[in-house]
Amino acid sequence: MSTDVEPESRQPGDREVGLDGGLSEALVRSRRFFTRAEVSDDLRSLHRTGGRGADDFYRDRWSHDKVVRSTHGVNCTGSCSWKVYVKDGIITWETQQTDYPSVGPDKPEYEPRGCPRGAAFSWYTYSPTRVRYPYVRGVLLQMYREAKSQHDGDPVKAWAHVVDNPLRAKAYKSARGKGGLVRASWDEATEMVAAAYVHTIRKWGPDRVAGFSPIPAMSMVSHASGARFTSLVGGTMLSFYDWYADLPVASPQVFGDQTDVPESGDWWDAGYLIMWGSNLPVTRTPDAHWMAEARYRGQKVVAVAPDYADNVKFADEWLPARPGTDGALAMAMGHVILREFFVDRPTPYFTDYTKRYTDLPYLVVLDDLGGGTYRPGKFLTAADLPTHRNAENAHFKTVVMDTRTDEPVVPNGSLGHRFGETGVGRWNLDLEDVDPKLSLADTSWDSVLVRLPRFDTPDGAAQDLSRGVPVRRVGQHLVTTVYDLMLAQYGVGRPGLPGEWPASYDDAAAPYTPAWQEQVTGVPAAAAARIAREFARNAEESRGRSMIVMGAGTNHWFHSDTIYRGFLALTTLTGCQGVNGGGWAHYVGQEKCRPITGWAQLAFGLDWTRPPRQMIQTAYWYLHTDQYRYDHFGADTLSARTGQGRFGGRTTADLIAQSARMGWMPSYPTFDRNPHDLADEAAAAGRPVAEHVVAQLKSGDLRFACEDPDSPENFPRILAIWRANLLGSSAKGNEYFLKHLLGADSSLRASEAPEGSRPRDVTWHDEAPEGKLDLLLSLDFRQTSTTIFSDVVLPAATWYEKHDLNTTDMHPFVHSFNPAIAPPWQTRTDWDAWQTIATKFSELAAEHLGTRTDVVAVPLLHDTPDAMANPHGVVRDWKAGECEPVPGVTMPKLVAVERDYAAVGAKMQALGPLMEKLGTTTKGVTYDVNASVDYLRAKNGAVRGGPADGRPSLKRDVHACEAILALSGTTNGHLATQGFKTLEKRTGTLLHDLAAEHEGKQITFADTQAAPTPVITSPEWSGSETGGRRYSPFTINVERLKPWHTLTGRQHFYLDHDWMAELGENLPVYRPPLNMGALFAEPSLGDVGELGVTVRYLTPHNKWSIHSEYQDNLFMLSLSRGGQTIWMSDKDAAKVGVEDNDWVEAVNRNGVVVARAVVSHRMPEGTVYMHHAQDRLIDVPIAETSKKRGGIHNSLTRLLVKPSHLIGGYAQLSFAFNYLGPTGNQRDEVTVIRKRSQEVTY
Amino acid sequence: MDVVLWVVVPYVCLTVFVVGHVWRYRYDKFGWTTRSSQLYEDRLLRLGSPLFHFGILAVFLGHVMGLGVPKSWTEAVGVSESVYHVLAVAVGAVAGFCTLVGMAILIYRRRTVGPVFSATTKMDKAMYLVLATVIVLGLANTVIANVFGHYDYREGVSVWFRRIFRFDLHPELMAEAPLGFQLHGLAAFGLFALWPFTRLVHVFSAPLGYLTRPYIVYRSRDDQQLGSHTPRRGWERTR
Repeated sequence: MSTDVEPESRQPGDREVGLDGGLSEALVRSRRFFTRAEVSDDLRSLHRTGGRGADDFYRDRWSHDKVVRSTHGVNCTGSCSWKVYVKDGIITWETQQTDYPSVGPDKPEYEPRGCPRGAAFSWYTYSPTRVRYPYVRGVLLQMYREAKSQHDGDPVKAWAHVVDNPLRAKAYKSARGKGGLVRASWDEATEMVAAAYVHTIRKWGPDRVAGFSPIPAMSMVSHASGARFTSLVGGTMLSFYDWYADLPVASPQVFGDQTDVPESGDWWDAGYLIMWGSNLPVTRTPDAHWMAEARYRGQKVVAVAPDYADNVKFADEWLPARPGTDGALAMAMGHVILREFFVDRPTPYFTDYTKRYTDLPYLVVLDDLGGGTYRPGKFLTAADLPTHRNAENAHFKTVVMDTRTDEPVVPNGSLGHRFGETGVGRWNLDLEDVDPKLSLADTSWDSVLVRLPRFDTPDGAAQDLSRGVPVRRVGQHLVTTVYDLMLAQYGVGRPGLPGEWPASYDDAAAPYTPAWQEQVTGVPAAAAARIAREFARNAEESRGRSMIVMGAGTNHWFHSDTIYRGFLALTTLTGCQGVNGGGWAHYVGQEKCRPITGWAQLAFGLDWTRPPRQMIQTAYWYLHTDQYRYDHFGADTLSARTGQGRFGGRTTADLIAQSARMGWMPSYPTFDRNPHDLADEAAAAGRPVAEHVVAQLKSGDLRFACEDPDSPENFPRILAIWRANLLGSSAKGNEYFLKHLLGADSSLRASEAPEGSRPRDVTWHDEAPEGKLDLLLSLDFRQTSTTIFSDVVLPAATWYEKHDLNTTDMHPFVHSFNPAIAPPWQTRTDWDAWQTIATKFSELAAEHLGTRTDVVAVPLLHDTPDAMANPHGVVRDWKAGECEPVPGVTMPKLVAVERDYAAVGAKMQALGPLMEKLGTTTKGVTYDVNASVDYLRAKNGAVRGGPADGRPSLKRDVHACEAILALSGTTNGHLATQGFKTLEKRTGTLLHDLAAEHEGKQITFADTQAAPTPVITSPEWSGSETGGRRYSPFTINVERLKPWHTLTGRQHFYLDHDWMAELGENLPVYRPPLNMGALFAEPSLGDVGELGVTVRYLTPHNKWSIHSEYQDNLFMLSLSRGGQTIWMSDKDAAKVGVEDNDWVEAVNRNGVVVARAVVSHRMPEGTVYMHHAQDRLIDVPIAETSKKRGGIHNSLTRLLVKPSHLIGGYAQLSFAFNYLGPTGNQRDEVTVIRKRSQEVTY
Repeated sequence: MDVVLWVVVPYVCLTVFVVGHVWRYRYDKFGWTTRSSQLYEDRLLRLGSPLFHFGILAVFLGHVMGLGVPKSWTEAVGVSESVYHVLAVAVGAVAGFCTLVGMAILIYRRRTVGPVFSATTKMDKAMYLVLATVIVLGLANTVIANVFGHYDYREGVSVWFRRIFRFDLHPELMAEAPLGFQLHGLAAFGLFALWPFTRLVHVFSAPLGYLTRPYIVYRSRDDQQLGSHTPRRGWERTR
């Protein structure tokens, strides 16, 4: 009421409180004449009864018929469970599920989880990009139909007619990527696909077909579908983790384990958290809350990132290290920790931890270089000790110096104890009464100079320096400890030792002081030292609760293994590994398939035939997309000066070939001949296949295919891609793929290696082939950069249209996909689609293939006695005459496998008999699964008749889900307990109680449908969830003294393989990003010229998409800027006159990209970001440079293979699928970027 | 022929007009809109829209007067033919002129402003054509009939028109009318037939109620209905 207002508080011009004026009031007062409704006295409101019919509209809008649980199989760490709403048979929207298992009292919970990307998914169901029907490339279909009518309707002959004719083949291959996909029926499309498989297997061999589907954990059954078919026909499944460059090679090197990391809930347990190149709110959105919340209980959070990234604002401190220099910062922090917590003031917790759980006390032999200097050599082993010389596996039992006796002793738990009779009950970390010496300095001041490599000049050139280490003589060997070598490497001097040592932290000339790192990284020396000190102090006081969350920003570099070893040195020296709240927290995507054993059996058809073919994808494409032809430098370019010149005169391709023929890494296609023919020849000659192959290889009549990848008999012929977008996301060297693999248009600008720089052992063809691949098959629910280049596209069901299982590393639960609607239009689930293909294949195979014998070349495998094939990691190349070719020792194992191709369809649909016969094996533990098979027979029903008569059915996707759950320890308590009991026999320690609390528990698919279900502690993994604790890796190793799967059985700082020494990477070391100017004559960083400014080109994860998914989603396009963008700093933009949102063109030798610029001072000068996997389907105009459509992020990248990633057959450096292999790194790249004409055409 | 043009056509058109509106209202409530383009352009609109709308309102009232009120009534209240005529021509010409200019601005705007043209449907284009024809013919009649000749529509067209609603059919009245009036009438009926399918339906939802409505409207539930949703067909309460 206006009268209540104090006159003093009124300002002139203020209006009376009330309606708009006299006229309004009069009008409203007149209302009573027009209505029965009541007008309030103050004229502000009208009261009516009824008239709410319009409510129906919005009530109908949010009403629905049912809610179905599902999730998104998108290689995201989220693994969020969602409620999918269905109305009138139409998927309408989704909301977050909230029924996750509890994290435990006194901790923040998982739920709610989900981000805008996941919430946008339902758009895809009915989107314009949905693949609704099978599509075939028009020219191909037409030729196939004509050929079929000419060949009495025989599809196999028809396919051969088309692809074996060069003109016809070129006609459809050169049409790839240019539209022209036409609708076909499922029958016709799958018949053609099946015919292609039959023809290829018959003509070229089964290892010429390949399948690619990544990250099984994101939808295990869907992954298993095509993988099972590919494996059953003898095809090659391509790895993904190393290919994505997400596999940190340091993990096998240091831990002997594929990435095993804490779940995100364990971040909360940390007292000190460094986010190192990991942008948590963007890339781990639903889990980032733990990081934010933990700060409220006193956690200190530090961010290391070159740009002012989203996570930096959460951090207490920001260390802006220059891109790719993280290793230098880590080395300097290691320097501080070794100086202050080991040398100046030994810390009991760290000393005790490193003695027990690391190789620091182990003895290393020093090799005499003459002139009074030495080089670190091999680990001293029992074979070097007279008392142990004849012990079983003596070369794999490493040695420490005992403090009490001052004599060398052989502790339990090394690789030599893992296998063989005498190791039973002794493969453990129990030091008994031995107290290993960390340093030999305490009893002996004998010392020698060792030459240590350094690469810290800006161009990364190899240099070395000499530093002294204390030594002892054992037999004829001069030895020191790994710890002493570490102090020398890190430059932590001790009085009395000779050599070049830093004067102090401020000595900028000597690696690896804080002042030295400041020049490299730009991070102030004092800050680096302080953070190191705080990190270690917190670990000391909390007994290991200091954690590093690391991201792709530090892992996608060529030398990321060295960067990571620098990180892992920090977490291991400070006793943080194997402790809740401590250690490394590598980013992972949906890397961890928790029910790994069950999935592996299904995916690789291990229930019917073993072994499967599994290939390292980086080497595969490096050769088959001919990227090796464009490498102008020798393999020794990166060698250390302390090496022995092993790589001299050879190229990386030569090393790949060598690694393959020595059985280190797999290689498919394996031989330059159809393996069926090899088997037939052997049979004709009346000798075993292996013998025949060895004889042929020795005589030179037979060669490895990788020694001549450009010869037609060695091409990959069929590539099937499902659940993946190879050409839109992970294909580093996109233009090389387009040109050589597909024969499509490309913007490749690089020049081939000139004579003199070409491979020595790998055959060079003057004319590089184009269009090697006969069939690119993809199954997808949306059009992507891959489908538009495919020859056949089959319409797939989405994640809201099928049954499947989902897990991640970051959450210890398994949950389900469920169909909210049946697959619409003509779409099918992957499981159905591959069954269809398999059935067709078998029909055609009955006539054209029958039963054949195949020869599978299997590399030396990790977690098997193969890891003892090469004592001391000494290279022995049979081709160089250094040894005899012996399968399984100096070359791959050669296994004859009988394949009944007509039975593949039946085998796909049933669980095979090898389950009972051979059991299942994961990481060296074999399980008896008889009970599980019986259970599955009852649960799924048995197949009647045919090759799979009486076997448990796998016909439906739900059957496959049940099989995965029943055959894995993490989801079947009986198997977990059984596995631990098996392991106990070897370790002699108590383990099975870890799973005892869940021994009777069998997680069923129905359980996962009801809610995300916690998994069971199992020997398949290294951490414990027993009693509801948060998962942290290696807690079983630390708490139960179970060895790591390494040479010493401990975590390794030192790697003594020949090739590691060659590269100067025996110990953690700093190696800068590759110098693209020197390697490829690219301009130097910072150059500004007519063509633009030269900048580092990084392709980090995107805020608006998960890989290429969601990037094309209308909602995400609206939320983001939409279309391809490149982020650049205001300073770089100013140099070339670029304003925000201008069209820019980025060009290097690999290709061309057109995008809009996002100019932001958030970016550091000299670096641009193009978020990876922005698909070419959205807003990509014609480039000025190439006059072709302007590429995608990978148009500017290419593969570069690091030789040390090819090591195999030696302890933890042995191959296992997605465990070890060369990484598809891409961060060392540079590009020239400029403003282009703002008029774009499409 | 006269019967077709002046009996059948009017009835068909009026039927379409009525039934069409009922149908549109029931089945396309969310499409019952002016499809305002103010968001895309407002400078020309601010000028053209009031000119057109107030003009056409006056024109409408003029038609109510001319067609709806019998000549005898006006004469009964003492308005002579000449007075009426001067008044009608003066007001009609001004109103017609305003309408015409307003419409010209609006059509010009619709064609030349890109976003507005993009938001123009085929139906809009048809409607503009017919509406413009009707208005131009109407204005032409006013001018021609009053300046050059004399035809008392109040004794011809008006009578014919009023009697249509009484089912008292006099096609001959129309057949005798000048060509201009015939065309105007036909075009107008065409417009009526088109009306329910165009944005012209907004005429029936002009927001007059807002003039007298308080700002806040509370609607309590209907006591006769269970729940908040209108019962679906077949599920209504039986007692």
